[in-house]
Amino acid sequence: MTMINVNKGQMRVIETILASFIIAFALSFVNIFAITPTSPKYEATELEKMGYNVLHDLDKQGLLARFVYNEEWDNLKAALRVMLPLDVYFNMTVYDMHGIEVNDATIFYGGSETFTTSKNIASVTYGLIGYAKRNQTTGNYQAIYNPRILILQLARG
Amino acid sequence: MNAVYDHIIAILVVGMIFVGAVVILPTMSFVNLQAVDQQQLRNTALNVFNAMLLDTGEPANWGSISNGTYYFSADGVERVGLAKTGDSAFYLLDPDKVQRLDETNPLGFLSYEEMRALLGLQSYGFSLRIIPPFNVTNVNGTKIDEDHSPINETALDQKTLQYAVRVSYLDGRPIPNATIQATAVYTDKKDFAMTPPHVTTTNAVGIGSDIIPLYFEPWHITVILRVSVADVATIVVTFGKNPIKIIDINMVGDNVILTRPKDAPNADVKLNSIYFLESGGALNSLYNGTSQDHFNTGEGQHCLWNNTFSGLQDYDPVILIFNIETVPPKNETEHPGNQEIAVAGPYQNLLGYTVFEYGGSPKSSGAAVRIQRSVIISGMTYTVELTLWKESL
Repeated sequence: MTMINVNKGQMRVIETILASFIIAFALSFVNIFAITPTSPKYEATELEKMGYNVLHDLDKQGLLARFVYNEEWDNLKAALRVMLPLDVYFNMTVYDMHGIEVNDATIFYGGSETFTTSKNIASVTYGLIGYAKRNQTTGNYQAIYNPRILILQLARG
Repeated sequence: MNAVYDHIIAILVVGMIFVGAVVILPTMSFVNLQAVDQQQLRNTALNVFNAMLLDTGEPANWGSISNGTYYFSADGVERVGLAKTGDSAFYLLDPDKVQRLDETNPLGFLSYEEMRALLGLQSYGFSLRIIPPFNVTNVNGTKIDEDHSPINETALDQKTLQYAVRVSYLDGRPIPNATIQATAVYTDKKDFAMTPPHVTTTNAVGIGSDIIPLYFEPWHITVILRVSVADVATIVVTFGKNPIKIIDINMVGDNVILTRPKDAPNADVKLNSIYFLESGGALNSLYNGTSQDHFNTGEGQHCLWNNTFSGLQDYDPVILIFNIETVPPKNETEHPGNQEIAVAGPYQNLLGYTVFEYGGSPKSSGAAVRIQRSVIISGMTYTVELTLWKESL
């Protein structure tokens, strides 16, 4: 009985050490799941917002449809380059309704390995329904239904 | 062992574990704590940015006329936001509100401290930058200013305007095929003339130059360049020869206001005509002066002249050109006597080809977040960048 009382303090120490290890392990384990600002998820969201903002601006000015339907790929590339921040690289692909790539020239800015090595790549999908065409005989404008799907990939350089 | 010693040792060990935990655990999660802190900062920055760029503020026309005057007072502003009223498009900013951030605005401005208070950012600091989409410089890369003009002055003697500029991306790489539309407004002692817009494009190394014939040898000349890339991003550059700072041109909504510049010379000014350049590039006549349009720039009222032109703002005017007649003081010109002068404005310090900066700068090297968005102001594209940081109390 005396021996048990004498060793009671030592047992408490061992319990405390074990409890400390469990708490430390639990905290470390929880940290693995923490979403930090530098996590791919967060950065991609920010790039997505930026990409959508630029495409929306171009569309609002009536230029996006002109570039796509007139196949002015160089102009589209130049426009994206001046509107996106310097350190943002992009790669755009334009598809028709059947998923066939329409742009015969690359709409790309960045290092050659940017999109294969970058951990944070955002992708924005933007749709164009069609364009207005002037009827030469009547002079009236006619809406032409010819959807295009724009996929804009963005990454930090 | 004695139970007392055993418990003392136990207390010491537990104490050491406690102290160790207090020291080690925060260190273990310091990176995450810092990241969470930064995430909080980023969320605040996003909210502030949205409030600035997507909200019109309260009252919605706080940058324009308030309480019957175009002199700005922050007292009337309940909530701040730079978005244009009556337009559903995102990131379309009101030039009247943006110019209230310019601390050199003669009609008053919203100070950084007032802006911070309105945004509720007392414990945060921020800086806002309006960055042009590309650079327009002299051919040698120097900034275009009064001392470094892209005009070949020798050619002016032969009644020819000759200029050359370099257009480049912000990283310095040249932009080929950028469109440059030049309009020259020039005067001599009794004559005033302007050239129709001349368009040229930049070559493979981003250099654009043009030779434009003039009707007479100019004494004062103001050249307005509207530079655009892929028809999307546009900036306007003005420069000239023999500029005389005799009036400040201001525009608030549909109102055009002339104010007396600081240290203005005492001169009699007669207003002959006003023209404006739309963001789309068209140059239009706005007003022909009458005998009533006459004022003196000497001591007296700060506001020299004003007029309202209904619907002017709908054109997105980026430059106003004034043809005035005056007798500049002898120390201001080598060309004495009554003469006509062309003056261009407003937005001398923003909405041009230079970076406009507003706000503070971080006092410590602590965490700061930076976010950017593309915006449209007066039909021209810019990138707005917000940097936000926490300030120690």
